[in-house]
Amino acid sequence: MEKDRTTFETLEAAFIEGRLSRRELLRRSALIGASAAAAHLLGSLGLARPAHAQGTPKKGGTLVIAKESELDILDPHSAGGWVTWRVSKQMHEGLIDEDLTQANVPYPKLIPKLATSWDISKDSLTYTFKLRKGVKFHDGTNFDAAAVKYNIDRCAAKDVPQFYPRANAYTQWIWQFLKEVKTPDEGTVQIVLREPYGDFLRQLVQGGGGAAVFISPAALKKYGNEGIAEHPTGTGPFRFVERVRGEKVVIERNPNYWGTQPYLDRIIDRPMPEPAARMTALQAGEVDMVYVPHPDGIAELKAKGFKLEQGPAPHVWYFAFNLKDKNYQDVRVRRAINMAIDREGMAKQLLKGTAVAARGLQAPCCPSYDPNFKDYPYDVAQAKKLMAEAGFANGFDTVWQTSVDGSGQLIPVPMAEWIQRDLAKIGVRMKLRTYEWITYIGYWIKGMDDASNKVGSQQMSWGMTSDYWLDIVTNSSHIAPAGGAGQNGGYYTGADSMLNAARAEMDEQKRAALYRKVNQKIKDDAPAVPIINDLAPLMLSPKVKGFVHAPEEWYDMTTVWLA
Amino acid sequence: MLKFLVYRVATIVPVLFGVSVVVFLMMKLIPGDPAEAILGPAATTEKIEMVRRSLGLDQPFYVQYVRWLWKVLQGDFGTSIAVNVPVAQLVWPKFWNTVLLTAGSLVICIVIGLGVGIVSGTRQYSWFDRISMSLTLVVANTPAFWLGLILMVVLALYLGWFPATGMYSMRASQKTFGDLIHHMVLPAITTASVSAAIIARLVRSSFLDVIRKHYITALRAKGLSERDIILRHGMKNALPPIINIVGLQVGYLMGGALFTEVVFSWPGIGLQIYSSIVARDLPVVQAAVLVTTFVFVLVNLGTDVVVAALDPRIRRA
Repeated sequence: MEKDRTTFETLEAAFIEGRLSRRELLRRSALIGASAAAAHLLGSLGLARPAHAQGTPKKGGTLVIAKESELDILDPHSAGGWVTWRVSKQMHEGLIDEDLTQANVPYPKLIPKLATSWDISKDSLTYTFKLRKGVKFHDGTNFDAAAVKYNIDRCAAKDVPQFYPRANAYTQWIWQFLKEVKTPDEGTVQIVLREPYGDFLRQLVQGGGGAAVFISPAALKKYGNEGIAEHPTGTGPFRFVERVRGEKVVIERNPNYWGTQPYLDRIIDRPMPEPAARMTALQAGEVDMVYVPHPDGIAELKAKGFKLEQGPAPHVWYFAFNLKDKNYQDVRVRRAINMAIDREGMAKQLLKGTAVAARGLQAPCCPSYDPNFKDYPYDVAQAKKLMAEAGFANGFDTVWQTSVDGSGQLIPVPMAEWIQRDLAKIGVRMKLRTYEWITYIGYWIKGMDDASNKVGSQQMSWGMTSDYWLDIVTNSSHIAPAGGAGQNGGYYTGADSMLNAARAEMDEQKRAALYRKVNQKIKDDAPAVPIINDLAPLMLSPKVKGFVHAPEEWYDMTTVWLA
Repeated sequence: MLKFLVYRVATIVPVLFGVSVVVFLMMKLIPGDPAEAILGPAATTEKIEMVRRSLGLDQPFYVQYVRWLWKVLQGDFGTSIAVNVPVAQLVWPKFWNTVLLTAGSLVICIVIGLGVGIVSGTRQYSWFDRISMSLTLVVANTPAFWLGLILMVVLALYLGWFPATGMYSMRASQKTFGDLIHHMVLPAITTASVSAAIIARLVRSSFLDVIRKHYITALRAKGLSERDIILRHGMKNALPPIINIVGLQVGYLMGGALFTEVVFSWPGIGLQIYSSIVARDLPVVQAAVLVTTFVFVLVNLGTDVVVAALDPRIRRA
C-alpha cells in the first residue's frame, strides 16, 4: 500500500508537470489500484472532464472576471504585467501565437496567427512572414505589411514619427537584435536581425512585458502614442467597449473577426484588490471567475461546487545569492543551502498544493524545461557536511530579502520564514528583510552589491515560455548597472559563453538541449536556490465551461462559454 | 458674522498649504521609485532613466513641488503614472462616488444617531436606553472593515438580500437608481456604524444635559406637551454640540468610506487611493488626499458657520 502511494505520487507529479496525459494518468492509476486517487486529483485540478466533454457550447452571455489589481494601460506595446495582458491579448494579435487551447502539453505550440506561414533564411537573420489576407482591424482598416512595419517601427525605429520610447523600453527583449523591417509586397513582411536570435519566435509571443502585436496604424495616427491606450484597436476576437478605471474594462465579441467567433458576447474585467471580496463576489454570483483565489477559501468554495483550475505555468519562485558576499563565494555553501530547504514540504503544507517543488532554475512550460531534472535532494546531514567542509561548521549570520506581497509572489513572508527555519538547521542564521512590492522591486533591480541593497540573497518570481528567460536572469549582460539591467542581481557570470551559444542556435530542439546544459551548469554552480513553481490557480463558477488552463500565464477566452 | 466668516476662511489657507507640503513630502520620502514601479522586474537602468526624465522625477523635489502646486491651482493634477490619464479625469468621478456613499452613510448616521440618542436621552435608564447604549459602545469600538465583512457574509452571502460588491450590477444593461441604492445599503451601514454610535451617545448626553435645565422644568410647569418641550425647546439648545459632532463625523465618514470601499469594491476615492498607493502612483495619491482634505476643511467650515448662526455666543468668541 505504501508502495502504491509512492507510485501514485510519481504519477501525480508527472501529470502536474505535463509529462503525462489525463488519459494516461487514469490508465496507469487503474493499474496500481489508485483510480480513486486519480479521480480526486483531476477533480481538485478542475480537470474531471476534458473541455470538449462539458456539453454543447452555446453563444451568448457576459463573463465577469475579478482580478487582483487594476490594469495597466491597454497599449500592448507599452504595458507590462500578466494582469493587463490577459485582457489586451483578447483584442490584439501578432504574426504568430501560442496554441492555448491545449492544457496537457509541456509547453504551448507555436501556431500561425496573422501570418499564415514563415520562413527563416540560411544565415538565420531574415524571417519572412506571409500575411493572412482579408484581416481587418476593429476600425475597419486593412491589416497588411505596411501595418506590420508601422507597428514594429513604433517600438524599435528611433527615427520615425510614430516612435514611442515607452514602447521601445517594454519590447526591448523582442526587438533587441532588429536591423530592419522590409515589405516586399503588401502580403509579405521580412524582419531582418543583426545577429542570430534562436528564441526570436518564442519572444514574439510573450506578453508579460510589451507584446509584438498589431494596432491599427489609422487608430495610432488618430489618437496618438499616448491616446491609443484609451482606444485599443487590434484585430483580435474581442473588441474594446469601455473602461471605467477602478471599476471595469468591457470587451465584446468582434463580429467581423477573421477566425472562429468566440462564444461570449462580452467579458467584463473588474479589479478587486481585496482577496476576500473576490471570493465573496464569486459566491454571490457577481463574478464568474477569480484570479489568485485566497488559499484559505479554496476548499470551502470547492465544496459548494465552484471549480478550481490550476496547472503548470511558466513561473519559478527563487532566491539568488549575492556572489560578492564573502559567505556565498564557496560553491559548497550554496549547494548546502540548496539541500537544506524542504521544498516539497513547503508546496504541500504551506501552499496547500497550489504549487510544486521547483526543479532547476529554468521555469516550466518552455522547450528546455526538463521535468525529470534532478535538483538537489533535501538532505540536511549532507548539507551540514558541506558547510563544515567549506569552513562554516558554525554557520554564519546573513540577511535575505523578499517582498510582503506583489504580482506572482504568492505568500512570500511565510515562505521565506519556512526557509529561515530550514536554514537554521545547518547553522545559517538568516535575518529576513521585507518591503512592500513596489519598494522591493526598486531594491531588487539595483543588484545586491549596491550600497543601498547589501544582502546575502534576494527573491523573485517570474518566468517565460521562452528558453531565453534563463539568459535574462543569469547572463552577465543583465547585471546592473554596467550591463544596463539588474535581472541578474547576484553577479553570476559562470554560464555566459554557454548562454550566448544557446541564444545563437536556431534549431529549437538543439537549442533546448543547450539550455538544459546551462540549467545543469547553473545547478552545479548554484548561484540561486529555486524554490517552487506556482500552478496559477483560479476559481470558476460552475456555469463557466470550455475554459482551458493552458501552460501559460494568460488564456484563450474564445473557447469559453456560459451554461 | 462677516468678520467671523473672513477669519475662518483665512485660516483654511495655511492648513491647505501645510497639507499639500506634507502630502508631497510623504510620497517623496517613502522608499520606492515610480519609474521602477512602472517597469517592474523587466526594468533596465536605461529604461528607468528614460521614464524618470519623462515624469520630471530627475528634478530637485522643491522644483517638482512648485511645478506641481502651480498646476494644481489651475486644476491640473498631472497625469496618472500607472494608467496614463489626466489625474482629474480619474479622481473626480471616484470622488463623486465617495460623496454618494458618504451621503448615504450620513443619512443613516443622522436617522439612527439622532433617533436612538433622543429616545435614550429622554428615557434615561429605561431598558431601551441600557440596551442601545451598550450596543453603541460595542459598535463604536468595532473596526468598520470587520463589520463590513460580517454584514457581507450574513446579508449578502447567506441571506442574499443585498449585493456584496460594486456600485451597479455589472450584467445590467442600464444603471438605475434603485440598483445603486441596493448596492449602497451594506457599505453605507458599515461606514455609518461607528459615527452613528458616537452621535447617538453624544445626542443622549446633550439631551440629558438640557432636559435637566430649569427652563425645561419651567416649561413643564407651564403645562406644555413633552413632545413640544423636546422638539421645540430642548432640541434647539441641544443642537450646537450635535451639529458640531455631525460636521466632524462627515469627515470621519469620508475617512471610513475609504476602508469600506476596499472591502465592498465600491469604486470611490478610497479604493483609488489604495490602488494608487500600491502602484506608487504619486500624482493620483496627491490629488486624492488633497481633494479629501479640502472637502474635510470645507465641511468643518460649513459646520462652524451653521453653529455660529444658531448660537450667537460662538461668533462673539
